[in-house]
Amino acid sequence: MVLVASILTGPLTLVLMAHFISDLEQKASNLKVRIAGAAHAPALVNFLQRNDVEIEAAPADYEQRIREGRLDAVIVVRDDFDERFLGGDQAKVEIVYDDSRTDAGPAIRQAERLLRAFNRETGTLRMVARGVSPDLTEPVKVDHVSTATPRSRGAMLLFLIPMFAILSPLLGGMALAIDSTAGERERGSLEPLLGNPVPVSRIVVGKWLASWTFAAGVGLLTLGGFAAAATLYAQPKLKALLAFGAPELADFTLVVIPFAAMSAALQMLICTYGRSYREAQTYVSYLATAVSFVPVIAIFSGIKDATWQLAVPVLGQQMVLGRIIRGDDVPLLDYAVPAAIAAAIAGLCIAALARLLDDERIVFGRS
Amino acid sequence: MIRVERLAKRFGEIHAVRDVSFTAPDGSITGLLGPNGAGKTTTLRVISTLMAPSAGTAAVDGVEVTRDRLGARLRIGMLSDARGIYARLTARENIAYYGALHGMAREAVQGRVEELARWLDMEALLDRRTDGFSQGERMKVAIARTIVHDPPNVLLDEPTNGLDVMTTRSLRDIIRRLRDAGKCVLFSSHVMQEVSALCDDIVIVAHGAVVAHGNAAQLLAASGRDNLEDAFVHLAGEGA
Repeated sequence: MVLVASILTGPLTLVLMAHFISDLEQKASNLKVRIAGAAHAPALVNFLQRNDVEIEAAPADYEQRIREGRLDAVIVVRDDFDERFLGGDQAKVEIVYDDSRTDAGPAIRQAERLLRAFNRETGTLRMVARGVSPDLTEPVKVDHVSTATPRSRGAMLLFLIPMFAILSPLLGGMALAIDSTAGERERGSLEPLLGNPVPVSRIVVGKWLASWTFAAGVGLLTLGGFAAAATLYAQPKLKALLAFGAPELADFTLVVIPFAAMSAALQMLICTYGRSYREAQTYVSYLATAVSFVPVIAIFSGIKDATWQLAVPVLGQQMVLGRIIRGDDVPLLDYAVPAAIAAAIAGLCIAALARLLDDERIVFGRS
Repeated sequence: MIRVERLAKRFGEIHAVRDVSFTAPDGSITGLLGPNGAGKTTTLRVISTLMAPSAGTAAVDGVEVTRDRLGARLRIGMLSDARGIYARLTARENIAYYGALHGMAREAVQGRVEELARWLDMEALLDRRTDGFSQGERMKVAIARTIVHDPPNVLLDEPTNGLDVMTTRSLRDIIRRLRDAGKCVLFSSHVMQEVSALCDDIVIVAHGAVVAHGNAAQLLAASGRDNLEDAFVHLAGEGA
């Protein structure tokens, strides 16, 4: 169940994302406006036609449709438009939209842009006709030069993949971490198990290796799903944005495997305090929530990438994964520091666990 | 052989065991008899090294349980209060897992599993998952797991609890078989008949202390009663 879910996560997310992007792009690139009362504004219509904009008459019930989300934006021309326009007075148009709908954004901005362009053109022509240089109204000329490469623009979308890389080991190791600690005690199998002539530390290490294997396995399967989907999915737009193939997967592995070692050990330690499977489940879900908040906090508090972050669990992984996916050069140290800290935390957790399971108050409950 | 001397175990204010001393020799079945809460399970847990005594000592074949826990565990097979077999494993896997934990080789384990299955009449159950097992079937798996490594000392905590007559009988056969093989068998029960039917030696425990020790005839004489149940009630009441 977990395996199937983890394999499917990547492809499904990417397909949904691709759909979303192409939808947005389509709405924006396909220049089309809906106008109510186009007949009253021949100048505007002429301008739009010259700019290859497709004009569609708005249906009579456009307000209703906009409210229901079936229409994005409509330009409404008043009856006296032409009269005022030719007379040199301010002619008025309205853009009707529902700005609570984010996906209407491109259509609204497009309508605004077109109207602004029409304004500028008309104004320029009028000034030229009066012998005034149009440059006077535009003392500063603004050109947009975006430095974002397609790949780093993709990274904004690919914020998701690092998040999955961090959360999926937590989800993958959870069942085993609970079952091998609180579950084992609830079932009554802990006491017979510890009666065997095997040092507790070895039993604990065995349990941890099993949880780690699952945590890392589920993490890698999830990422493998993403890589497979990103490679096979033939959506050209997405392909240009997404660079998540075998090399990135390999780099992610270097981060995810040590992280899973830590998360599995931490989960087991927390679960040992749970008196029942259910109680342990609650504790573990707190941990997962705390972990999933870290990237969010990092984004909202606007912390910039800095070396000290490497030393903070989760934050460090998040930063390194982000760099990998942006295609930045990641020095070896950036892999080593979070991994070493994860290993140290895992070691401490295991030592603490071995002590706990050697404590009769923990093994037999507080009876 | 199991030797327990002046054993005491305290949990905070509660004295679960105050003063328990006895010796359970090899080739003999020793019954630890007492009402619920007398301290039987705690005594067995101390002997099996899972709990540290507050005072006194216990030794298994001369190995003190507080000095060499792993050494003592090697000489013990303990059927604990919590049977705790793994529901997702088959009976065979449950038993073989414990064989492996005792360091037995794979082939040795498989041979032993077959042998125990014949003893316990559970060959048909071996390759089924245990989650659908009846209480008697679970007990058979737990017993087989307890003695898979052929331990010289076998501790059984209330083994007949919740079993039907048929299973109880086959359990008695196993216990006698172990004694005849020269093992030291120590088993706890709160059922007088159970103990008197099986045990060579009876240790009566009440309120954390030994109140009487001997075979059935000696206990009758000590209590001055003419049946064992009266004798037990009388003797168990003495510790109060």
